Amino acid sequence: MTSATAVRPAGGAAPRRAGSGPGRRLRRHVRRYWQLWAMVAPAIAFVAVFAYVPMYGLQLAFREFDFAAGITGGDWVGLKYFQQFFDSPQFWTLLRNTVVISTSTLVAGFVAPIALALMVNQVLGRRRKKFLQTATYLPHFISIVVIVGMLQVFLSPTSGLITRVVGLFGVDGANFFGSADAFVPVYVVSDVWQHAGWNSIIYLAALAGVDPQLYEAAKIDGAGRFSIIRHVDVPALVPTMIVLLVLNMGNVLNTGFEKIFLMQNPLNLGVSEVIATYVYKIGILSNQFSYATAIGLFNTLINFAFLVVANQIAKRVSNTSLW
Amino acid sequence: MLNTTTRRGTAALAGLASAALVLSACGGGGEDDDSLHILVVKHPLTGPMADMAWVDQLEDAAGVPIEWEEVSADWDQKKSTMLAAGDIPDLIVGTNAVTDADMVTFTGLFEDLSDDMDALPNVRAMFDAVPETELMATRPDGEVFSVPSYRRFWPQTATRQYINQTWLDNLGLAQPTTWDELHDVLLAFKTEDANGNGDPDDEIPVDWSPAGETGFGYFQPTVLLGSLGLPTTNGGGSGYFVEDGKVGNFLTDPRYMETVSFLHDLYADGLVSQDVMTQDYSAYQSVGRGDGDTAKVGFSWGWTASDRFGPQLADQYAPIAPLAANASVTGADLAWTYDSYSLNYGVNTITMSAQSTKKDAALKVVDAFYDQDLSLQALWGEFGQNIEELGSGAYNVLPPADATLDSSSWKWTTTLADNSPGWIRDDIEVTLPVDIQEAVEDEAPLTGALANIDPATDIWPGELIKMSAEDSSRLSLLHTDILGQAMQRWATWITEGGVESEWDDYVSQLDGLGLTEAVEIHQRYYDEYLANR
Repeated sequence: MTSATAVRPAGGAAPRRAGSGPGRRLRRHVRRYWQLWAMVAPAIAFVAVFAYVPMYGLQLAFREFDFAAGITGGDWVGLKYFQQFFDSPQFWTLLRNTVVISTSTLVAGFVAPIALALMVNQVLGRRRKKFLQTATYLPHFISIVVIVGMLQVFLSPTSGLITRVVGLFGVDGANFFGSADAFVPVYVVSDVWQHAGWNSIIYLAALAGVDPQLYEAAKIDGAGRFSIIRHVDVPALVPTMIVLLVLNMGNVLNTGFEKIFLMQNPLNLGVSEVIATYVYKIGILSNQFSYATAIGLFNTLINFAFLVVANQIAKRVSNTSLW
Repeated sequence: MLNTTTRRGTAALAGLASAALVLSACGGGGEDDDSLHILVVKHPLTGPMADMAWVDQLEDAAGVPIEWEEVSADWDQKKSTMLAAGDIPDLIVGTNAVTDADMVTFTGLFEDLSDDMDALPNVRAMFDAVPETELMATRPDGEVFSVPSYRRFWPQTATRQYINQTWLDNLGLAQPTTWDELHDVLLAFKTEDANGNGDPDDEIPVDWSPAGETGFGYFQPTVLLGSLGLPTTNGGGSGYFVEDGKVGNFLTDPRYMETVSFLHDLYADGLVSQDVMTQDYSAYQSVGRGDGDTAKVGFSWGWTASDRFGPQLADQYAPIAPLAANASVTGADLAWTYDSYSLNYGVNTITMSAQSTKKDAALKVVDAFYDQDLSLQALWGEFGQNIEELGSGAYNVLPPADATLDSSSWKWTTTLADNSPGWIRDDIEVTLPVDIQEAVEDEAPLTGALANIDPATDIWPGELIKMSAEDSSRLSLLHTDILGQAMQRWATWITEGGVESEWDDYVSQLDGLGLTEAVEIHQRYYDEYLANR
């Protein structure tokens, strides 16, 4: 994707000559830029094969799934399955849960790596800095199943480490896993803990690119540590922030399926049933392929809308955007 | 040095590459070789098929080599994609490995065996001798896509009720017979040092197996519905029961409310494990096994005492009779969970592909599984090692050859056990292994309550009823919503209370989610079933 966008401005910048037909223009373009096209060709092929070709399966959302007739052979039912989803008593619950979980993860997961990167950047000494950075990004590599297992052990109401620590402060019998109110905080905090370190790497790279002259100039002007962060570091990060935020917006309804599914229990189901887990239960476990496809398509359309809106806003406000 | 390493590395790489080639050849070219492909869904403990001696007899019967594809984990996920792709092996073996819902969704994928009965004399004979197996196999339109198994010797219920007799003796208490007495006993377990290890706070008076979001199962307190005279099947399932010829769902029955309310009383007094709603099955099992000779759990449900509490603590626990909810409930009213259709039978144990190019060989294998001797060996293990033949239709199931294993683990390790197709004849004599013996013995206190249940008229016979594609997909949709809601309430009500005040709202909510419609569908099939029986 990114390499494809990188080529386009170059193509657009090709000089045009009056009177040249489209055929000639194309030949000229190919002659001049074929190396670039050759370089992006694998990426284009990958996206085409794995993202565009399978889209023909989307018609399943508008058809009655009939195994004997194949994916494209079922009876056309139009928007029946979308209607069924909108009329479902679960609809608003699912949408609310999905939005709550994903927006809190989005906000916390956006702010935390920036704060961490600014902090790590202030640490003196190469070794200490390296150590801090490694220690914070290691949890990223733990598998989700293990993370949820660890959470279950740490948060057990009888023997959990964290429950005991909280108990020292007078909160007795906290049952984090068995409480619907605690589900979203536990999910978000553990997610931030796991991924903030890894996600801060890109910001650290941006900070490493800041011209040292800026720091020197700021110091000469009498700026303190916080002023330097505010007026030098943060502005340097803004373009990266916006691109990442816009990209993240495109996933706003894509909650982490595995983690939520593993953390579900009857006590928190009211807040933990999200579109992704519902699609799994309906589509894969109950064989309702058409219905599940319709719900999945709805989810994707919402994501797409978020992406477009976020991109437009970013374009207006800061002149940084994906397209 | 460097040179050899490089060469070794290259050799390893080449090896890997050729292994990948072989693998892809296996995956792709299943159709045109000579062997019969059988996928078998196994218990995680079960060893490779190649180690089971009786497998050779299947190969002899088939007349072609058999290639086994062995699945020990995540079958549900693998299955969906495999069936949706339409690429299945000649035979699929395993209890309910292919479900009724799969058969109606993936039409045309499975071979209809009803017109092949001439080639299946053993199966035909089983259908005649045990008519329930024919009901389990036959779709509403008469097709037979899958053949069930019959195990004969299993008890009528999976869930037995245990109390720690040593704790009762330590505290000088009698076995409880009513809910109130149970409550008092559990309070004593909680407040006093019942296990005598000096710590009065480490006893868990009650624990039960985790109920998921999709319904109830074995070893759960839904058996207390029997204290109010409501018989369940398979520990509760999705809640359907039958009373006077009418199908109902206990999720909206006042007796369910009463049971939940009682469980909340226990929970509010700190008598129920704090982890009961969030722990997984293995945590529930390991807590039950206590700490060395010190038991941790006072009252619980399980398959056998040794399975539930471990061989070391099993002697401390006594099986007890169902409790009466109050003084007005008499012994003649008591009920329990009736599980014989799922314990003594295995639904859909062997299914054949409609695209199989080796139908004759596949049919021979299906029939061989239902042979008298092979059925026994597939269930308990090979003759000589696991079973002793005494002649004239008598057999003795031997104790584990590996002394470190109990007889149940031994069976699951050495053979397909309950996952296998097969027909244990009613006219043979078998000396049972100790795990089944113990299950049958510990069922004794439940005999009265089980005798009150007439399987023909008092339970929802889910295993014997086959539904049309339309109804089964409608029900699976309704059940996802209904049970998601109901199980959440179940958990919240027990831990936080509020069942009485929220009950009316809840009943109308489940109705809005389609419970009435779901019950009506069940009623329609039940009426048909009664008419045909």
